Amino acid sequence: MEEVRIGVYVCWCGSNIAKMVDVEEVSREVEKLPGVVIAKDYKYMCSDPGQDLIIQDIKKHNLNRVVVSACSPRIHELTFRKALENAGLNQYMFEMANIREHVSWVHTDRAEATKKAKTLVAGAINRVKWHESLDKRHVDIDPATLIIGGGISGISAALEIANAGKQVYLVEKADKIGGYVAKLDLTFPHMYSGKDMIQPKIDKVMNHEKIEVFLNSMIDEVFGYVGNFEATVKAKDEKEIKFGNVIVATGLKPFDPSGIDNYQYGKLPDIITSLELEEMFINGQVTKKDGTIPKNIALIHCVGSRNTNYHEYCSRTCCMSALKYANQLRSALPESNIFNIYADIRAFGKGCEEFYTNTSKKNVMFLMYDQQNDLPKIKKAGTGDNCDMIIEMNEKLSGEAIEVPADMVVLMVGMKAHENAKEIAHAVGISMCGNEFYIERHPKLDPVATTTDGVYIVGTCQSPKDIPDSVTQANAAAARVLATINVAHMEVEVTTAVVNEDVCCGCQTCINVCPYTAISYDEEKNVSVVNEILCKGCGTCGSACPTGAIRSRHFTDEQILSQIEGLMSMQLQI
Amino acid sequence: MANEKPKLKVAIYWGAACGGCCVSVLDVHEKLFDVVAAADLVFWPIALDFKYKDVEAMPDKHIDVTLYNGAVRNSENEHIAKLLRQKSKIMVAYGSCAHMGGIPGLANFTTKEDLFKRVYEETESTVNPDKVRPVPKYKVPEGELELPEFYNDVRALDQVVDVDYYLPGCPPQTERFVEVFMAIVTGAELPPPGSVVGANEKTLCDECERKQTENKLIKEFKRPWEIQDDGETCFLEQGVICMGPATRGGCGARCIEGNAPCRGCYGPPSTSPDPGAKMMSAIATMIDSNEEDEITTIVDQIADPAGTFYRFSLPGSIFRRKLFEKE
Repeated sequence: MEEVRIGVYVCWCGSNIAKMVDVEEVSREVEKLPGVVIAKDYKYMCSDPGQDLIIQDIKKHNLNRVVVSACSPRIHELTFRKALENAGLNQYMFEMANIREHVSWVHTDRAEATKKAKTLVAGAINRVKWHESLDKRHVDIDPATLIIGGGISGISAALEIANAGKQVYLVEKADKIGGYVAKLDLTFPHMYSGKDMIQPKIDKVMNHEKIEVFLNSMIDEVFGYVGNFEATVKAKDEKEIKFGNVIVATGLKPFDPSGIDNYQYGKLPDIITSLELEEMFINGQVTKKDGTIPKNIALIHCVGSRNTNYHEYCSRTCCMSALKYANQLRSALPESNIFNIYADIRAFGKGCEEFYTNTSKKNVMFLMYDQQNDLPKIKKAGTGDNCDMIIEMNEKLSGEAIEVPADMVVLMVGMKAHENAKEIAHAVGISMCGNEFYIERHPKLDPVATTTDGVYIVGTCQSPKDIPDSVTQANAAAARVLATINVAHMEVEVTTAVVNEDVCCGCQTCINVCPYTAISYDEEKNVSVVNEILCKGCGTCGSACPTGAIRSRHFTDEQILSQIEGLMSMQLQI
Repeated sequence: MANEKPKLKVAIYWGAACGGCCVSVLDVHEKLFDVVAAADLVFWPIALDFKYKDVEAMPDKHIDVTLYNGAVRNSENEHIAKLLRQKSKIMVAYGSCAHMGGIPGLANFTTKEDLFKRVYEETESTVNPDKVRPVPKYKVPEGELELPEFYNDVRALDQVVDVDYYLPGCPPQTERFVEVFMAIVTGAELPPPGSVVGANEKTLCDECERKQTENKLIKEFKRPWEIQDDGETCFLEQGVICMGPATRGGCGARCIEGNAPCRGCYGPPSTSPDPGAKMMSAIATMIDSNEEDEITTIVDQIADPAGTFYRFSLPGSIFRRKLFEKE
């Protein structure tokens, strides 16, 4: 092994670190540690002069490793790695000790904080001794894209990509594309026809020379990695396809209200779901099962949503749909009474609050109930009552227990993840949160990507959302896909896991734990094999491996144990 | 016989040991003649009547090879370990106890005080109203009696003296001992000091004949007697903890062939600093549940987890012993 020559740089971060940590003492003390050639402190290490200091020292003192003790590596690790590269050193010969977020910002005793800073730097110094050069790698991107699901999200993404001249494979489970939007009569808040909106897009997709649509089809399992995926489309005739990116747009499943006893769904004839009402509007007639006009119609909001017994989340669209129905019913049945039995009205979209205000002026009764603890109860009306059903409820605003007459009850059912969500997640290698919606890479900063490179999630498979949000996501994912196709190749993780075949015993413990299906079993050699392009370097396999045959690059046992040793040794000295 | 090489001088010693390691040497049976033809046994307390003073009288590096078995548990074990180190060219940690601390090392889960209290006061068969305990020095009319001092910690051999080779096993397989011994006798090139010899680099699964798949999902941990073993399926896949994945092969999978799971006596491969921690991590990934309560219930089914995962390796592991609050 070459002689270890470490440069250590302690940042003041203006007064951010320096006011609570004696940075000069830290620098003085750590300079005495074995392997450290030079240690300095500087006002702003991340500034150009700060970085320059490192670059000059690397050249002047022939440093081969660098430790910067400053803020969180999330902020400036890449900055300093770049500086190392500029000085001709491999960027992984670097380690950062966080003495701002982990020390100066969270402590009040200067002496103790200084001790802790020294300890963390000593750990980093011990760790960096074991660092190894790692090289960047690239993969080529196949310009075709697989889109799973032919609803509004899948259709939008498909057109966006195909119109840019790139091949799209659109796989739809049903016998036609269009999804739930094609089943909508009108859409809130502008009352445009859903069918009219989506039909031209459906036609375009079906006739697009760059889009191959597979109906009545499913994807079995996606193999490969970003840029180089392949899968078999399962339909009447199986077909092998190859593609560089995947957009998952599998959509939603409506909540089934039959599990809610209070609502008697399926037990009394004229209790229907919002989707069944939608169908009546499309067919042009809202009637009871016996063909007569309902005199009293109640719309119950939040069915299956915002209640820990069913789903804790808000389905985001049902309030506005219920207002839409109130409007439609008011026009269709001017003589009927309309009751919106709601928990809160969530009218957050563009034009939605206005729509709510408007609706409230149309002779619609709004009654509020307690969604958490006190659901309304529907029962069959007595012979003397002038209606078919009675809804018993405690009206929250008036504080009165009331009975609402009803001849038709519409349950505003929420959205659930699609019944195939789990299967698809497994097939493409993405994760689901507790309620089976897919997890985005970052909830705020990267909401359409997933932790699997090259796989994107759009529309209601990610969480309940309305049409404009779904289309926005679809277009965003399409832009991401087109960007990678445009670059033609992409950088892949280098801090991957590697199997020592001399030690691996073939127990296959690692295969199940890999979230990226990057590990396979080589039967002939009786060892596990890591696909380094699929591997994201999460380290799960390394910790699960009972033999120690799997080494996580940049997180090796030597590196981590040495870091701990460094931390402990400084603690003992102090 | 002309040109005969001088015979090797061999010492065999037991520290805190059960005697099994010495028996494994005797188990060479008729090969004993080959051993004796090639080596003079200059010290072997279990079989031959040499005294410590005989060893003390030897010049330094007089002994070619010492096979030290047993852990270091008391001042006598330590003294002889240091003495033999001084007198020997090659020091071999022979068997699990010398290698990693072994079964006696499990005492590091407790303290000397707790052990003495249990053994000399509390066991069901003890009658000791005066609470007499062993002491290193005791005056009697005839003079002063001396006993070795019993330490609070059990240590592996290399925690006391430098060790050249480790020959693992509880006890080491006699065939592997003979191989290593004959390699030394014939002057074959020896591996670098610090190596484990007489064992494989790959772990036991590699030589295990049982069928194993990636399907290691455990809903319920079972003791070996609680399963209807088909003799073919991987023990882990039947919910029985088997240390095979974390333990070097080389033993010939004898426990497995006897339909018992591996207990880990051959220790970890060179890539694994702590077989207990490694195996616990691996087992954790096999638990077939994502519900915290259910996971706790499943984990609670593991009888004596510390003793299971660290059965042979506690003193030599990263954490060495259970820590106790200072009084």
